[in-house]
Amino acid sequence: MMRFSTLLKHPADWMTGADADSTVVLTSRIRLARNVTDAPFPGWARKQERIDLLNHLRQKIEQLPEMKDAFSQQLSDLTSVQKQVLVERHLISREQAARGEGSAAVVSRNQKLSVMINEEDHLRLQSIRSGLHLREAYNLIAHVDSQLEKLLPYAFDQELGYLTACPTNVGTGLRASAMLHLPGLVISDHIGQTIHAASKLGLAVRGIFGEGTESLGHLFQISNQSTLGESEDDIINRLERVIHQVRDHERHARTKLVEDDPQMVADKISRAYGLLRHAYVIDSKEALNHLSLIRLGTDMGCFPKETISICDSLLMDIEPAHLQYHVDGKLAPEERDTIRAKIVRSRLQNLPTPDIDSLNNTSPSDPTPPSE
Amino acid sequence: MQCDYCNNKATVFFTQIIDGNSKKSCLCEACATQSGVIDPDGFLLGNIEASANPTSPTNPKDSPFDPPLTGDTTDPATHTPPTLEKSATCPGCGFALDDLKKTGRLGCSQCYQSFHNEIRHNLGGMHKGTSHTGRVPEGMLKAFQQRQHREQLQQEMDEAIQAEDYEKAAALRDQLSQLSEIDPGDNLTLEP
Repeated sequence: MMRFSTLLKHPADWMTGADADSTVVLTSRIRLARNVTDAPFPGWARKQERIDLLNHLRQKIEQLPEMKDAFSQQLSDLTSVQKQVLVERHLISREQAARGEGSAAVVSRNQKLSVMINEEDHLRLQSIRSGLHLREAYNLIAHVDSQLEKLLPYAFDQELGYLTACPTNVGTGLRASAMLHLPGLVISDHIGQTIHAASKLGLAVRGIFGEGTESLGHLFQISNQSTLGESEDDIINRLERVIHQVRDHERHARTKLVEDDPQMVADKISRAYGLLRHAYVIDSKEALNHLSLIRLGTDMGCFPKETISICDSLLMDIEPAHLQYHVDGKLAPEERDTIRAKIVRSRLQNLPTPDIDSLNNTSPSDPTPPSE
Repeated sequence: MQCDYCNNKATVFFTQIIDGNSKKSCLCEACATQSGVIDPDGFLLGNIEASANPTSPTNPKDSPFDPPLTGDTTDPATHTPPTLEKSATCPGCGFALDDLKKTGRLGCSQCYQSFHNEIRHNLGGMHKGTSHTGRVPEGMLKAFQQRQHREQLQQEMDEAIQAEDYEKAAALRDQLSQLSEIDPGDNLTLEP
């Protein structure tokens, strides 16, 4: 079994911007909700029922070939900082972190697959990929699902499909989402339109930690809302189509910003650079928003390409629980801000001053002309 | 879905059980307010039950409840739970309908059957459709077809008994018991 410290020491490739095309779409995620028959849902089950079912389910999950040498941990055996670290890494949900006894997380060694047991549903299967690769993520999950359906009596109804604790997930139980970095649309003030258009198509646009979170660092999560009445393919195709469009709009907005007001863009990027390189106290929001501009500047050619992955690792490492885990102790908010500034300074110490000339000559990397 | 009484979009769905018959109505906000359906205290269920031709307690003339509350009774689910009763609970897990309204979550998979109407009425607003078109667990499809077949035979047998055609009923009974031997089919979840 994989230990917590090992899991933390080796962040998944999708956490550090491995995909060449993750400048706008950072990650793609697929989640399936599944339940078994003849057992109350976790939120309604008695503690003992929950524990008994957990033991049964956990054994089946750990036996999956994909889960060889996996990380498998009962939530009640983790400290609150450890749970929060897993949330910040998107390996478990905030909802699961709030749960105590009778809940567990099993994460595959390469962290492309994670299974939450007794979260809101008996099983939540999740796969995350770098860049826009929803289909790939779905294929892995569907494969795991088809193995599990032979081992477990799934709660399934011919009319309503897979039955879930919340009727908003019934049917396919599928939630597909992508995390997008949209500074161009935010700065040019077109983000409102984009969110409106997406929601008209039945998609939800949220902040980075899902439901009820505000958008930080110009990061947005777009996901399907409807799970019933459409097949898995339909849901994924529609989401993929919309994400392609949003990505094209973002690229267009970036090009336009540089064309219309290169001084303003240069100023924003250079200020972010100066601030992050020289701050001694920085809160999470300020850090995320300035790192977002460094990320944007990298795409515009002001910084070396690998800066994207430095930014993405930092986005995660400067989160509150990561900081506390890092210093191995509880930190007051002011202490966090000091340590955060220190980590940012050290990671960016070799970052050269922004190459502002590149703004005037080249447009942001745009390998393909916008489709449609 | 359209309001049963005008052309507006229906947003309020109302189910009653009177003498074991379920009566469903789909209303727009205005018609629902007018008839008092939205306010549980203002809507006196007793008034409707007492009258063979039910009328609204507030405004008998203009009420959308002037026509008899036959509504849409073609729902295939004949095991309609009494959705207006506060005490309605799921026999499978003891979860109460009130809890669903409070938490938005259900107690167990059987709740979908226990609160069938209540849930169905709300699904349209949440999803693109109201019936599943996606993946089906391997083997489940066949099992469901078998169960449907058994149910159909059962129904035919009941009809034969009603019609006092005992010869046919006996043949059907034999067929049924043969099917049960091959596949007990009890490891399934809900029937539609």
